[in-house]
Amino acid sequence: MKLENEDALDNLIICHQCYTLHEEIPIKDGSKACCSVCGGILYRYDNRLIDHGLALSITGLIFFILANVFPLVQIDILGSEQYITIPKTIFSLFESGFYVVGMICAFLIFIFPLMIFAINLILFTLLKFERGDLWTKDLLILLSHITPWSMTDIFLISILVALVKLIGYAQIHMGISFWALAVFVLIDLYIVKRLHLSEVWMLRKRIIQNRERNDRG
Amino acid sequence: MIEVDEDKLIRCPVCAAVNIDRGKANSCRRCGSGIYQHRRFSTEKSWAYLITAMIAYIPANLYPMLVSTQFGATEGSTILGGVVLLWEHGSYPIALIIFVASIMIPVVKFLILIYLLISVKYPIGKDKKVNKHKLYYLTEIIGPWSMIDVFVVAILAALIHLANIEIVAGTAATAFALSVFFTLLAAHAFDETLIKENK
Repeated sequence: MKLENEDALDNLIICHQCYTLHEEIPIKDGSKACCSVCGGILYRYDNRLIDHGLALSITGLIFFILANVFPLVQIDILGSEQYITIPKTIFSLFESGFYVVGMICAFLIFIFPLMIFAINLILFTLLKFERGDLWTKDLLILLSHITPWSMTDIFLISILVALVKLIGYAQIHMGISFWALAVFVLIDLYIVKRLHLSEVWMLRKRIIQNRERNDRG
Repeated sequence: MIEVDEDKLIRCPVCAAVNIDRGKANSCRRCGSGIYQHRRFSTEKSWAYLITAMIAYIPANLYPMLVSTQFGATEGSTILGGVVLLWEHGSYPIALIIFVASIMIPVVKFLILIYLLISVKYPIGKDKKVNKHKLYYLTEIIGPWSMIDVFVVAILAALIHLANIEIVAGTAATAFALSVFFTLLAAHAFDETLIKENK
């Protein structure tokens, strides 16, 4: 295989699932390219990725705040009312002496999701105003290290499992936060699991190249 | 013009950029992170994490996951005990979810990782047909879901705090959380470029 220089490697892509080498070709706005061997998605093309990313990170942050300040679920058991919030769940683990589990839970369902959305917000803002090239690079590296460790989707399923266990013993009321968390998880699935970070890397490269061309000409 | 062998192209584990494999001390041309620089200890790091995870998985199954105190009587239930109890009560879907998440997924993950780690060093006969990249991808996707049980315990412990009835997390919760944590680390430390078959 012959290449002009090392930069031409950017036209190649290796499938996430089966490690097959592919050549990247331009595709229509809003469509996706799939692997010819395993059918996994290689990349998508979104013309307004920055605007979508920015809008979704702001919405995500708002719903994250809502999900943390209001009660998640409320139960009536033996005549007394109990409710939990996400921070309360973590703190009660610390109170009963489970520091390790408490720390792990705090990172997986609070700190990392918050960091991911905050980083996305800063990242897309910087890309929008075409500033801070070094910053965007560091943020993208940090982002790819912490995305596998965000588990709000699993936490949402866990709430349902815990509640099913309690059916018959207690009366259950879903709180505002539960619905806020459900929306947050949907946005999280879109922005973290669906968006490949390599698309953002390519976007960053295009922005830098455009600027260099404008500076020259 | 440079001539590149297609088999020599590797993917950066951090930013997914395609790079040329130069043997030792590869660093990504896009993000600068090192790409599996520990060539002499290619599988040892992953083994270490995996063995730690397997050791932690033993107390996770022996000690109680959930300790409930009802009117002074304390009762603990292990992971398997909880599944059996739920099955007997007739909540089959929940029993299945807990069984799959806390017993099947960790064990399957251990087995897949052991198989991958052994087979990349000592190819076992006719295993060329197995798509190891797919297997590895599978462990990455299913891995985090075993945290369900830990989260359920955390939620129940926070929710049930009454004068007469109280639920607290058990010793197994710590062991199990650590086990999941280390299996995830083991999967991340696995060097995907060692798999040669499907290139």
